[in-house]
Amino acid sequence: MLLSMQWLRDFVPYEGEIQELGDRLTMLGLELEEIFNPFEAIKDIVVGHVVECGKHPEADKLSVCKVDVGDGELLDIVCGAPNVKQGINVPVAKVGVTMPGDFKIKKAKLRGVKSHGMICSERELELSEEHDGIMILPKDLKPGAKFTEAMNMEDTVMDLGITPNRADCLSMLGIAREAALAFDLPITMPKFNLVENGGNAADMLKIEIDSPDLCPLYQARILQGAKIAPSPDWMRYRLLAVGVRPISNIVDVTNYVLFELGQPLHSFDADLLKGGKIRVGLAPDGTKFTTLDEHERQLIDSDLLIWDAERPVALAGVMGGMNSEIHDGSTNVVLESAVFRPGLIRKTARRLALPSEASYRFERGVDQQLNTFAVDRAAQLMSELSGANIVSGVAKNEPTPWQDRTHDYRHKRCNSWLGIDLEPEFSKKAFSLMGLEVDDSDADCWKVSTPSYRLDLEREADLYEEVARYFGMDKIPSVLPRISKTFDASVIAETPYGFYRRIKNWGRGVGLHEAINYSFVGDDDLDLLGLPKEGRVNIANPLSEDQNVMRTELAPGLLNTVRHNLAQGNSHIRVFEIAKKFIKDETSDTETREQSRLGIMLNGPRSGAEWPNEQGDADYMDVKGLVEHLLADLKLGEAIFSLAEDHSYLEPCVNITLGKQEIGFMGMVKADIADKYHAKKEVWMADLNADLLRDIVMAHKIKFETLPVFPPSRRDVTVIGPVSLHAETIKDAILGLKLPLIESVELVNVFVPEGQVGERNLSFRITYRHGQKTLTDKAVDKEHKKVLAGLEKSLPVRF
Amino acid sequence: MSDVKSLLQELEGLVPECSARLDQASLSELEDIKIDMLGRKGRVAKIMSGLPSLPNEDKPVAGKKANEVKAALTELIEGKQSELEKAATAESLSRFDPTMPGRKPAEGSLHPVTLVMDEICDVFIGLGFEVVTGPEVENDWYNFEALNIPPEHPARDMQDTLYISDSILLRTHTSPLQIRTMKDRTPPLAAIAPGKVYRRDSDLTHTPMFHQIEGFLVDQNVSMADLRGTLTAFVHQLFGPKTDVRFRPSFFPFTEPSAEVDISCVMCGGKGTIDGKPCRVCKQTGWVEILGCGMMDPNVMKAVDYDTEKYSGFAFGLGIERVAMLKYGIGDLRMFFENDIRFLEQFS
Repeated sequence: MLLSMQWLRDFVPYEGEIQELGDRLTMLGLELEEIFNPFEAIKDIVVGHVVECGKHPEADKLSVCKVDVGDGELLDIVCGAPNVKQGINVPVAKVGVTMPGDFKIKKAKLRGVKSHGMICSERELELSEEHDGIMILPKDLKPGAKFTEAMNMEDTVMDLGITPNRADCLSMLGIAREAALAFDLPITMPKFNLVENGGNAADMLKIEIDSPDLCPLYQARILQGAKIAPSPDWMRYRLLAVGVRPISNIVDVTNYVLFELGQPLHSFDADLLKGGKIRVGLAPDGTKFTTLDEHERQLIDSDLLIWDAERPVALAGVMGGMNSEIHDGSTNVVLESAVFRPGLIRKTARRLALPSEASYRFERGVDQQLNTFAVDRAAQLMSELSGANIVSGVAKNEPTPWQDRTHDYRHKRCNSWLGIDLEPEFSKKAFSLMGLEVDDSDADCWKVSTPSYRLDLEREADLYEEVARYFGMDKIPSVLPRISKTFDASVIAETPYGFYRRIKNWGRGVGLHEAINYSFVGDDDLDLLGLPKEGRVNIANPLSEDQNVMRTELAPGLLNTVRHNLAQGNSHIRVFEIAKKFIKDETSDTETREQSRLGIMLNGPRSGAEWPNEQGDADYMDVKGLVEHLLADLKLGEAIFSLAEDHSYLEPCVNITLGKQEIGFMGMVKADIADKYHAKKEVWMADLNADLLRDIVMAHKIKFETLPVFPPSRRDVTVIGPVSLHAETIKDAILGLKLPLIESVELVNVFVPEGQVGERNLSFRITYRHGQKTLTDKAVDKEHKKVLAGLEKSLPVRF
Repeated sequence: MSDVKSLLQELEGLVPECSARLDQASLSELEDIKIDMLGRKGRVAKIMSGLPSLPNEDKPVAGKKANEVKAALTELIEGKQSELEKAATAESLSRFDPTMPGRKPAEGSLHPVTLVMDEICDVFIGLGFEVVTGPEVENDWYNFEALNIPPEHPARDMQDTLYISDSILLRTHTSPLQIRTMKDRTPPLAAIAPGKVYRRDSDLTHTPMFHQIEGFLVDQNVSMADLRGTLTAFVHQLFGPKTDVRFRPSFFPFTEPSAEVDISCVMCGGKGTIDGKPCRVCKQTGWVEILGCGMMDPNVMKAVDYDTEKYSGFAFGLGIERVAMLKYGIGDLRMFFENDIRFLEQFS
């Protein structure tokens, strides 16, 4: 909300520092965002007097002027405007001045004649669209004076952030009330004499309202014999200062009163309204209506329209219609001042993406009791500016008159709510300065009635806020609460947050970087990975097509991370992410099943460092090692890794099961898919169900095992078998013999001797141990022989 | 009968002989010499094997000499050994290059959002709050209606929403966790809810996904002063005890009264300028906005059937990225979700 200081002072005699006013308003809840000079761009323009004006020797359309800008010396300026002549005052931009649009005036030669400045049109000063000639200033101005000062444009504008509850602060009057509260100053309302000129508006125009809840009040004044013309400078400059483009006297007045009092108004060309009737009613579904921005709108049955006897003429509270708009030839005006149901206006403005100063105020709520003052003020201004007669009386229908609202207020409770100890008199003073009336006949529970402009004061708690605001929220003392707990309060380690934190710290510890990707990707990303179309949770109003669906797996996001890093020249990529995947689920109260997953993705060199670190690119054993390390870190025992085909973007794809539960999968992203993410080297990944891991960890109890007393004895065996024989199969076969002395079996080496085809050698180290005695070589050899015999019997292997 | 004289001579002769042999010996030869001289079957032992045949009166002399010679030999050998070992150490040190690269385990990192979130959570956990989490896809009731934001309320404009359907949406704040937690439990309750939130907004200062932490306390006689104390303690722990805290009135539909909390600018220390130049972080105001808060609105309590006469509460919320930007001096919000490793590895 832009606040003109000049305009504000019409209402409240504030003469202090502007910054101080801004600071005080900020602490009252109207946040100062910026202070600026609205005419900063033309601050260096001066008043010039054209002393001489002659024809350019070489060009018919150019004049050569000598201009007095108060410097003692006359400036030679070549001017192309048809209306330049001797004896007039004009705005002059001297050499060195920067004009709006950031162009700098330089010494110039125009067809051989020197020019030392520029005489400006209104458009060049960004004051209007007028560019047929230069701007001619009043005669009594002094050459050399600052243009903005001479034209009484000196103003300072504050940009204030107004929260949605404070509809009353969307006007000069409203902010003046807050300024008056801050500095204990009086408010002066604009004074005017409404001159009515016969006739009877109520007879000329009937107002019908289809249903009282659509529109509590609709009234209109009628003006006749208006002459459409530009508004006077003072009004145009004030509108410009608050960022509104002046159009013509009638339209400008409606905008002026909107900014002054906060009441949006609309003016119709009375001759274009048919049948002497205005009706406020909803649009039948599918109604087509052309708003005055020349767009045809398709309406639905929640859009509120203003109708004449035959057709819609305005989209209520949002925008007028083309068919009844004020134009240059208009003479008779119907001036509308109404109160509409806020929700309706908001819905329409949002749906049609048509926010306007009017809808902004209607949807937040306007002051019904100020409505008559506003329409009279506007009518009188229009009459003054356009010469129109105001027809006596108003056409009015008020199905729901304003009812004063009264709320209970318990001062003691307010004190305990705020944690302060104020005297009752303090609250009384605050309320009275805010225009609230207090009935304290019950000292424990006052009745406080709130004015029609404070629609935000709906309950007792709202009154506490007013007391806090006036007291100064920043003066409330700081007290550390004593926090009581119940037994159902969770302990951090047991919460999902605590578990994910543990996993994140694990990830960091094993040298992975934590990534956070958007939860949404594009349908195309999921399609590329061949992920199922069913079960996707799509966003109805996505910002873009590449963010239109919630992730059903972590891979697309992590692949984006890989792509971004490769594009930045980072080749050593080791990332992890803990985030949710989203699957449609009609049984959930959010229609979505969310599951936290741990994703790991590796691409490029295994190590970021050169020799002596192990070189080579990350492969299956790197990602599997990480998964195994995690499970070991969580003390979950060994998982089973088996080939699968569930995730078509991975090849190989390996399922990971723990006990009987599938805890996730891993594998290599197929080269053609990785290529789409610009990854030339193998991309290995794992995707684990973090929720399930948490459940397993929570259920798992760690028990101490006594340490072995007797030494182990180790034997290696090299098994020669077909390459298709999995290492784990051999190991399982050994363990499957259930020999009591075997403590563990580890694969220690894999190699293929030169010349050996179709077979590989796998060396296992078997640890034997007896719980009650030291094993003799003989006993171990005997057991080891059983292993070899068992293997030969069950598998196609030799030694 | 042996001659004691020749035996003594023989013993004495070992010393110069050993000395001569040691002169050019290496460490491994030294071991051989040691065994040869002093071993169980060494020269001294061999000479002393003639001891039994000496006359009894000569035995003590011979024994004494033998011990003297043993001591002398031991000293010689050990002297040489320590000399050789020193030389070996010096030689091996001369080959040791301390500037060789180390065999480095990979360095990992936590995302700055995680780091800041953990830090904030730790402060509140320390104050006695528990941590709760909830769904990111929400329904309208939890995200808006129960939080006193009815349909068509202008406050919905404060948060541009990404919708799944008419009634299902991506949560626009972590505030639904107030409702979800309160609905299942009874006061006293003190909880914080960290997590991802979503808005339909994308530009230099907005990303469509970001992180928030919600906090709330419901009990009997909770006041605005408690809120102020809690948040002041939080700010002091996170930004240092000298940070100024300012409460100014604001509006949130789910709190009444509502306030915004500013802290003295972390860049310029609240002065508004740095070396005479305007501070860009606080735009010269000396203050930066850090969180929103207020007393829990009675309508929110009513939504979960709490007795508003018996209980009162406060709630607050803050954006993690904003804190991280202030804390680490990160200028561009979008960097948080690009996951450039050169960015990620800077923080932990």
